[in-house]
Amino acid sequence: MGKAPAEGEAKKSPDYAIFFTVLILAGFGLVMVFSASYISALESRGDAFFFLRRQAFWLVLGLVGMLTASRFDYWKWRKLLPLLLFSNFLLLLLVFVPEIGVEVNEARRWIGIGGFNIQPAEFTKLVVIIFSAAFLSKARLNIKDFWSSSFIPLAVMGASFFLILLQPDLGTALALAMVALVIVFAAGTPLKHFIAFLSAGVPLAVYLMISEPYRLQRLFSYRDPWADPLRSGYQIIQSLYALGPGGLFGVGLGRSKQKLYYLPEPQNDFIFAIVGEELGFLGALTVILLFFILVWRGFKVSLQAPDTFGNLMAAGITAMVAIQMLINIGVVTGSIPITGINLPLISAGGSSLFFTLVAMGILMNISKHASP
Amino acid sequence: MTREKKAVQQIRRRLLTVFFFTVLLMAALVFRLGWIQFVMAEELQSKAWEQWNRSIPARSSRGDIFDANGNLLAGSASVETVVAIPPQINDPLFTARALAPVLDMTEERIIELITQERAAVYLKRRVDEDVSREVRLLGLSGISFTLEPKRYYPNANLFSQLLGFVGTDQGWAGLEIFYEEELEGQDGSLIFPTDNKGREIPGVRSFVPPREGKDLYLTVDETIQFIVERELSRAMVEYKPKRAMALAVNPQTGEVLAAASKPDFDPNRYNEYNKEYWRLFPVTDTFEPGSTLKLITLSAALEENLFPAAAHLECTGSIQVAGRTVRCWTSDRGGHGRITYAESVYHSCNISFIYLGQELGAETLFKYFRAFGLGSATGVDYPGEGQGQLFRPDQIGPLELATSSFGQGISVTPMQQVMAVSAFANGGYLMRPYFVKEIIDREGSTVFRQEPKVIRQVTSEETAKNVARLMEGTVVEGSGANAAIEGYRVAGKTGTAQKVSGGSYVPGEYVLSFIGFAPADDPQVLLYVAVDGAQRGPQWGSQVSAPLFNVIMKDVLSYLEIPPDHLPEEENLEAARLVDVPDLSGLSIDEAGALLDNKGLLVRLVGEEGLIMAQQPQAGTQVPVQSRIMLYLDDLFAGDELESVKVPDLQGMTIKEVGEILAYIGLKMEKEGSGIVFEQEPAPGTRVSQGSSIMVHFSSPLN
Repeated sequence: MGKAPAEGEAKKSPDYAIFFTVLILAGFGLVMVFSASYISALESRGDAFFFLRRQAFWLVLGLVGMLTASRFDYWKWRKLLPLLLFSNFLLLLLVFVPEIGVEVNEARRWIGIGGFNIQPAEFTKLVVIIFSAAFLSKARLNIKDFWSSSFIPLAVMGASFFLILLQPDLGTALALAMVALVIVFAAGTPLKHFIAFLSAGVPLAVYLMISEPYRLQRLFSYRDPWADPLRSGYQIIQSLYALGPGGLFGVGLGRSKQKLYYLPEPQNDFIFAIVGEELGFLGALTVILLFFILVWRGFKVSLQAPDTFGNLMAAGITAMVAIQMLINIGVVTGSIPITGINLPLISAGGSSLFFTLVAMGILMNISKHASP
Repeated sequence: MTREKKAVQQIRRRLLTVFFFTVLLMAALVFRLGWIQFVMAEELQSKAWEQWNRSIPARSSRGDIFDANGNLLAGSASVETVVAIPPQINDPLFTARALAPVLDMTEERIIELITQERAAVYLKRRVDEDVSREVRLLGLSGISFTLEPKRYYPNANLFSQLLGFVGTDQGWAGLEIFYEEELEGQDGSLIFPTDNKGREIPGVRSFVPPREGKDLYLTVDETIQFIVERELSRAMVEYKPKRAMALAVNPQTGEVLAAASKPDFDPNRYNEYNKEYWRLFPVTDTFEPGSTLKLITLSAALEENLFPAAAHLECTGSIQVAGRTVRCWTSDRGGHGRITYAESVYHSCNISFIYLGQELGAETLFKYFRAFGLGSATGVDYPGEGQGQLFRPDQIGPLELATSSFGQGISVTPMQQVMAVSAFANGGYLMRPYFVKEIIDREGSTVFRQEPKVIRQVTSEETAKNVARLMEGTVVEGSGANAAIEGYRVAGKTGTAQKVSGGSYVPGEYVLSFIGFAPADDPQVLLYVAVDGAQRGPQWGSQVSAPLFNVIMKDVLSYLEIPPDHLPEEENLEAARLVDVPDLSGLSIDEAGALLDNKGLLVRLVGEEGLIMAQQPQAGTQVPVQSRIMLYLDDLFAGDELESVKVPDLQGMTIKEVGEILAYIGLKMEKEGSGIVFEQEPAPGTRVSQGSSIMVHFSSPLN
């Protein structure tokens, strides 16, 4: 189990449960993106299908990426690591270069390439997962020495973390940190190291959350959004106004009222609220169950992977999806403070969809090599 | 290999831990989601509904107020209100600077209003047409108009204190506040779903229709009120009192026919007037009743068979009660002398009423006071009614009993007096007075009708008739002679009460009142008039309030087309109605007044002080009753310079009177206008040489 299987070893079929769950979620996302966006797209861009078309384009591109990755033997990613790391940091830096970086709402998160905007941070997540899994699978035997094992992937993550924070994109940075921590944890880092690192990292995270006044407001408004209903509490309140009236069965697909400019950009981070409004508790529960299937199969793949690299990479990819999904639904239900994280596979957003699908492809490839 | 194996085991454990926590968190989210979508759903749904639905108010209108004959007294119209839409104002400073002079507001206040983070704010509500025109001409962006209802009162001051007025959005005074609930409408609304940009979206529309205000139909009569207010205004000019007031009721039903006091205000511009003048004094304010209260003492004595009408008593002008001297108002001239009890009523003798009070005893007398409604509100439909005050039973000693029996030391409202005296006009019943006869909704159906309401019977019919008869005698041959009306039998009683302030009498300040009804055998109208704190002219009710009663009652009877109850025989008329003018020269004003009162003659003083130097017409002349006798006081010609004369105060006199007076003292008149005197030049008190011209400006008393 420790060694990578030799090439040409008999391949099994991939885990189709993952494949179909991903297809259902992504297809459902396409429908919901259209439902949530067509009115505002029609009025502001004169094209009701604007977001649908873009999402469909990235879905097709992502499915190609997924199938390619599922046929690309996962251990070969190791060889690409120098290139991956280099392009990761290059892209994260290019964001700040005028003419190349694209600024939206005072945040520089995108790179413009031929009419498309790419979000390098989505790529970063994948690179950090691959690097951490690769490095720790090599260092697994001296995992008790923090500085020569766990520290290295955390340092690479940390460098990316700060570059993402500068954009600024606290949500993605925090998600990235959590994914890396899950891998480090799973790799068997002694708990005392882990706790020591957390006790340094958590105060830092708290400081980052309250250093900007608006983040502090978000922190408080999540406790009582009605204290400031027109500013910091606005999005949470509007999200609850979508979920509440949804009830058990929802108001019906396409019939959300909250998407009529009450809930800002309903096709993005708050798309789950529209799901809850239009399809009710049953629709929202179905989405959570699909994610549960994905997470369950993902961990199963991780457990059955033939080598530690496969273990950790599958765990990282599954954790990436699980963490983003938990944070997103937590925000939409007003359970945690607002952090700008979208719902994987469902929210509008090309880079996120593409790299999530590629990650799913990798997961499927690992599943092919499962050892029972 | 064991180390390798241990590492692998470690990884498996750690992965399962992560998976376990992930599933736990997912379950928590499902629970949270269910909580929101089931437990919180109803509350969230209703809050969201409020957000999704906008409403446009459907304005309702306030009910109108009409008099007994359907004449409009208060109505509503739409006027413009200036509104600011802050998000559309780019340059608040410029906007404020342009608007400030037009709206008569400070720039700071305007800036404060138009920089608020609101969709719209009222800048100035209910502006005049020329203001809104000027604002339109400025063409400022973000400044707009909306229509709002405004109350208007077509008769301006007429009825002002009775009606009250509507302040911001609701009645603030008078009937407008008393009947607020009936008059006010309730706005309806059109509710429809919208997107967050305020545009209507498909969905359920609902319309809540506005509920219109109801109309009030009053018992008062515009014409009677006009007669009353005209004469009160005239009295205000003539006697320069602090206040003058009148109440006219139908004594059979308690319906109020007119209610007024002066000074008053214009409800269209209520805020330009002293708040003191917003209320209807005869209902809200209490006074010492003076001699009019003797009627209740009289009725009590009659009812208890303690009134020896034909028996004699001796009035020496004063009497000792509990060691204190209590005076009759005639004490200066040695009292009424030997008179019968009946005559003591005609001449309003205090001493005889002290005897009657002593006969009745405090308990019985005050039982009658309370039965007649003194000391408790009449229940009239007007806000802030006064209750007055009687002595508490434990406060009543012999002195209090003595003064109370002729109307001193207690306080009552004119409304209480009017209702008490009405009992003598209607056969002994205390009625509840009322202003609103009917309330009618917009569909034309009557939702309320006030029927006359008897509070209690206070005397037998017999006693009531007897009191009425004695009141008639007062007018025929007593202190009320100046109230008598040709062809009608009038019952009445004067009242002269010293004003009380802070527990003691204010010297020289009197409330001169008269209360009476006609025709005496079938009373249709009961009228109370009072002049409070007259600054000019004589200070007796007989000379001030009785003539005021006379002119009002005469016009009201003729307006109501009440036929005279006896046509005076032609040949008798001259003789019966002519009296000799007594010789008054060298007398004091008071002495002359007493002589003239009993003859039914009116006093017109020329000059300010001193003894009577001359009179006009001369002594011995035969004149009709209620003629005015000019009394020239000796300060007119006093002084060193011969041939000079002090210009008399002519205010309130008619052209005929002014002509006579000026001719008599050797001055010429240059007249201007018509009506009664409002201005004169030179001012009263100026010394001019005889033969000079006096410029006199006449005007109608109501302007």
